[in-house]
Amino acid sequence: MARRWIRIGVPAGIVTIFLALVGLIGGFTDVYLIGDQISFAALMMILPPFVAGLVAAAPRVEGGERLEKRILEAAVAAAIAGAAAGATFALAVVLADWIGDERIRAVFLNVTPQLMEFATFGLATMVGALAVIAVSALAGLLGGVLRVAPASIRRPVTVAVIATLLFGFLQRVIPIALDQLSLERDWLYSSQFHGLTWIGAIVVAAVAAGISFLSTRFGTRLRGSVARIGGSGGPAISPVRLLAGAIALGLLLVAPVLLGSVISEVLGTVMVFALLGIGLNIVVGYAGLLDLGYVFFFALGAYSLALLTGATLNAFGIPPEPAISGSLNFYVAIPIVMVIAAASGLLVGAPVLRLRGDYLALVTLGLGEMVTVLVGSPWLVPLVGGPSGMRGITDAAIGGFGFRDPQRFYYLALAFVGLAAFTSWRLAASRIGRAWTAMREDEQTADAMGISTTRFKLLAFAIGGAIGSLGGALFAVKIGSLTPASFQVIVSIQVLGLVILGGMGSIPGVIVGALVLVGLPGLLREFEEYRFLAYGAAVVAIMVLRPQGLIPNVRRSRELQDEEQAQDEWAKAVEEGETPPDIASATGATT
Amino acid sequence: MSEPAWSTDAVLEVRGLEKHFGGLYALSGLDMEVRPGEIVSVIGPNGAGKSTLFNVITGIYEPDAGDIRYGSVSIVGLRPHQVVKLGIARTFQNVRLFANMTILENAMVGQHCRSKGGVFGSIIRTPGIRAEEERIRERAKEALGFFGKRLSGYRLEQPAFSLSYANRRRLEMARALATDPKLLLLDEPTAGMNPRETLELRDHIVRMRDELGLTVIVIEHDMRVVKGVSDRVIACDYGQKIAEGTYDEVAHDERVVEAYLGTKATT
Amino acid sequence: MVTGTWRTLALDRTEGGYSVGAWRDFIVQGAAQGAIFAMIALGYSLVYGILRMINFAHGEVFMAGAFGSFFFADAYAKSGLLNRNPVIALAIVTAVAIGVSVGTGVLLERLAYRPLRNAPRLVPLITAIGASLFLQNAFRGFFGPQPYGYPKPEVLAGSITVLGVPVQKVQLLVLVVAVICMAVLQWFVSTTTTGRSMRAVAQDREIASLMGINVDRVIVITFAIGGVLAGIAAVLFSLTFEQVQFTMGFRPGIAAFTAAVLGGIGSIGGAALGGFVIGLLQAVGPPLLLTGFGIPSVFSLRDAFVFLVLVLVLVFRPGGLLGTGEAEKV
Repeated sequence: MARRWIRIGVPAGIVTIFLALVGLIGGFTDVYLIGDQISFAALMMILPPFVAGLVAAAPRVEGGERLEKRILEAAVAAAIAGAAAGATFALAVVLADWIGDERIRAVFLNVTPQLMEFATFGLATMVGALAVIAVSALAGLLGGVLRVAPASIRRPVTVAVIATLLFGFLQRVIPIALDQLSLERDWLYSSQFHGLTWIGAIVVAAVAAGISFLSTRFGTRLRGSVARIGGSGGPAISPVRLLAGAIALGLLLVAPVLLGSVISEVLGTVMVFALLGIGLNIVVGYAGLLDLGYVFFFALGAYSLALLTGATLNAFGIPPEPAISGSLNFYVAIPIVMVIAAASGLLVGAPVLRLRGDYLALVTLGLGEMVTVLVGSPWLVPLVGGPSGMRGITDAAIGGFGFRDPQRFYYLALAFVGLAAFTSWRLAASRIGRAWTAMREDEQTADAMGISTTRFKLLAFAIGGAIGSLGGALFAVKIGSLTPASFQVIVSIQVLGLVILGGMGSIPGVIVGALVLVGLPGLLREFEEYRFLAYGAAVVAIMVLRPQGLIPNVRRSRELQDEEQAQDEWAKAVEEGETPPDIASATGATT
Repeated sequence: MSEPAWSTDAVLEVRGLEKHFGGLYALSGLDMEVRPGEIVSVIGPNGAGKSTLFNVITGIYEPDAGDIRYGSVSIVGLRPHQVVKLGIARTFQNVRLFANMTILENAMVGQHCRSKGGVFGSIIRTPGIRAEEERIRERAKEALGFFGKRLSGYRLEQPAFSLSYANRRRLEMARALATDPKLLLLDEPTAGMNPRETLELRDHIVRMRDELGLTVIVIEHDMRVVKGVSDRVIACDYGQKIAEGTYDEVAHDERVVEAYLGTKATT
Repeated sequence: MVTGTWRTLALDRTEGGYSVGAWRDFIVQGAAQGAIFAMIALGYSLVYGILRMINFAHGEVFMAGAFGSFFFADAYAKSGLLNRNPVIALAIVTAVAIGVSVGTGVLLERLAYRPLRNAPRLVPLITAIGASLFLQNAFRGFFGPQPYGYPKPEVLAGSITVLGVPVQKVQLLVLVVAVICMAVLQWFVSTTTTGRSMRAVAQDREIASLMGINVDRVIVITFAIGGVLAGIAAVLFSLTFEQVQFTMGFRPGIAAFTAAVLGGIGSIGGAALGGFVIGLLQAVGPPLLLTGFGIPSVFSLRDAFVFLVLVLVLVFRPGGLLGTGEAEKV
């Protein structure tokens, strides 16, 4: 038994070592989340053993039977797993100390004295190692206890912990909002350590736990009592979701006013990426076409807007006027940009869309990269400025009211996001959306059921491309100048990442994905260089653990089939005019 | 080959149809014709080319030789979705549903080729689009209703993967019915069904002809079904027609017996 | 294109044309480059043959090997071993590169791909893209974003004349090693029991497992072989360009993938052929086809060339130059 638990703990310890080596511990010892005790580094050290504890306490499956663990067994298992994780990490620390951290540092840059001190809690190495093991065992234990606790406790505690951490992470955001509202902030956020104060943390946790408790208590009843509205047209929307949506929309509307221009700058980028996400979501999420060259449309939108509205070249030694140059108003240029993008989508799509999924992905990647190389090549200097790019792009002014200012830009972008989201939502709920879904599910069958797959693939590509170009055009307005550095393959990957994170096909998901993947790292500058590491990890984790939408969930399907049998009997009984048997008992009987 | 004589009253006429995969001749000069309002069963041992015949008729494969006429026009070279639009719908031997779509949505996809809502209309949701969407929904429900309560009511909003095997087959047929076909091709509709379900389905196939006025071609292995539904039976082997006629005629045909048993009949 | 070629060849040296010697250098350079692509391409090809998945992160397997070997090469350069005894030093350095690449590849398979064995095709591909991003940035986290200068033993400096053609010593090494590697691989796959198992799994995984072949083991071995070749390629690449950086896997990875498809993905000879073609095209193509149009600094368009080839091959000959194309089952 113990060996099994240790086998869970050791990989967790290796994860901790990994986090230390990439610098997520040593570099963050003074980024405090709560008080001057819980730093981000501490969180990174506690998290792996905690997760190990969660896993170790999970019910064991033996011969198809789930064996729930008793509290004591779970606690022991979790503590051992946590201790094993801690021991693995501690061993590495001792080893590093023995070799000498300055020698390791010659290879692994992040094995700093700061890390070494933190990883031993500032104690002598051996004592520190023991302390690490003890703390890890405790973290594991907590994880294990949480896992086996009844849902009525587990859910509020989980929500409380997540909310507290979120408040801790948003230490650059929430205090500003409180200041704007002239509210007292010093009780919530420490002015010395920037993170939450302990009192603040307790209050946040208590409030979050309370809300969670109440919503599970009354939420189900509320949801149950209110009949689904919407009738025959469109999908039904529950009032709870309506309320949540309204609150989210309200927050989106007031955000820049509350948060000031520095954060609005980040939020503007979030909105540009949300727009790109909504566009790519049509291609990937709705139509199921993996496009890795979406940056193509982003660049196309940005550069064609620049050319149409009369930007100037940055290059030396040639006239600043680009080879093609218009002097259109932003709002006149936008539809033209979108038409150009849609047309290029059709042009590019026509030969490649008949390719099988994975080859299509690589072809689009190639096309995207070609654009990147071309835009930056000396060859096209007279047109787009080459490596040094262009400047003097329109600020989309309406009667002298420009949108370069971060707060104003945010609203401009939000308006376009709203428009795109609306378009995308309406399309998804139409005959066209149905055709896309059918095509994504099974292309050949869709064809055999009367859907012209070529046509609908092209349509998805063109509409997705038009929305992507809109993102590019807005980006150009936001920055005011363009360089090829902004149009690398990573943009495609980033947008794909947020579409996947948001759960392919979901528009609110895309916006949340943009907030998390673009917004969070932007708000915490320290994390900037870890953004893509987190992206990669998130994409892999989602695909391995929760690839919803792409793979139908087999277990759920089987469960539902059992229910189906029972319902068959029920329907039969009704047809034959008998009293229907109880569905629940019938299900019980068939399993 | 001499110029084939095209009969004028047939819904579907197949002449000299050939399809090979590498050296394997799945169809080698198949002829058949189907008249309006008929139920024709196509039987034959595995590998006789029956499913290939369906795949060629519906445009999934292009034939290597021969012609297929629907009404009086040749449909060779048309893409599958164009064939559906002309009024030929089908089901698949291995049920192919849109597993993550709801049952209603699956059927609504069938109506796709009978509707024409465009991008801008769908975004603005014009009255025309609303009416069309409503019509699609009603027509889909009607098609599902063909199978009684099995695919109706609360089940409309359930995902297709939640259905039992027999209901998946029924949904596939309903989806085909929702395309408003004139000719329906059923590929082993009772495979995997239990005896009760099989009998029930036999009645459904007859109803498709009598109530919906459809012409049906059915590939079937279960001889009770073949016997029960067929106006005419066509037996195939090695991609050719080896016998044709009523059930009794074909069932007692020497070549058919031989094809099934693999030896010369000795009785 | 034809006119571009004609105009280029018609150019006099004083007008920016190239001498015969320059063309010869381009070709040798392209062949050496292509040999490296071919070795990376085999990693894509073998995995694709068995799992039908594009291991997008293979470029990072290559990068990992290069980084792993760098620290040893650097240490030996500082201690003088690299110049004192270059054979032993390079052997150790290569062994390390192989070890790191194999480790990365096998870990990738175990953690990211194995759980997705039966998922729809796009799922492993998206996972591989995520893994690629993750690995790149993990190495960036370990060692920083800056490039490191990769030491080259003095023996490999300069050039020698082979059959009247001056060849840089490094290029010669690259070509010789690559040819040996591919010959060994060909022998391995065609004659050993393991090689036979690999071919069996490539044909039909299910049947192979019914025949008593341990499919998981074969898949791990495939990733390991890909890792071995990537590790060797990494050392050769680093010796050629004398630099390592966390982004170094991406472009060679794409070029190698293009090579694999060009030669017919899944075939060893095809990967070799494709590699050489891509290498030559990259080295000779831009000056030959574009200079004539008066396009400045043609070599900056080198990668665009590779991508163009990638697109054209996938669209027009997805089965490769020699292959007949893979038919989709209905």
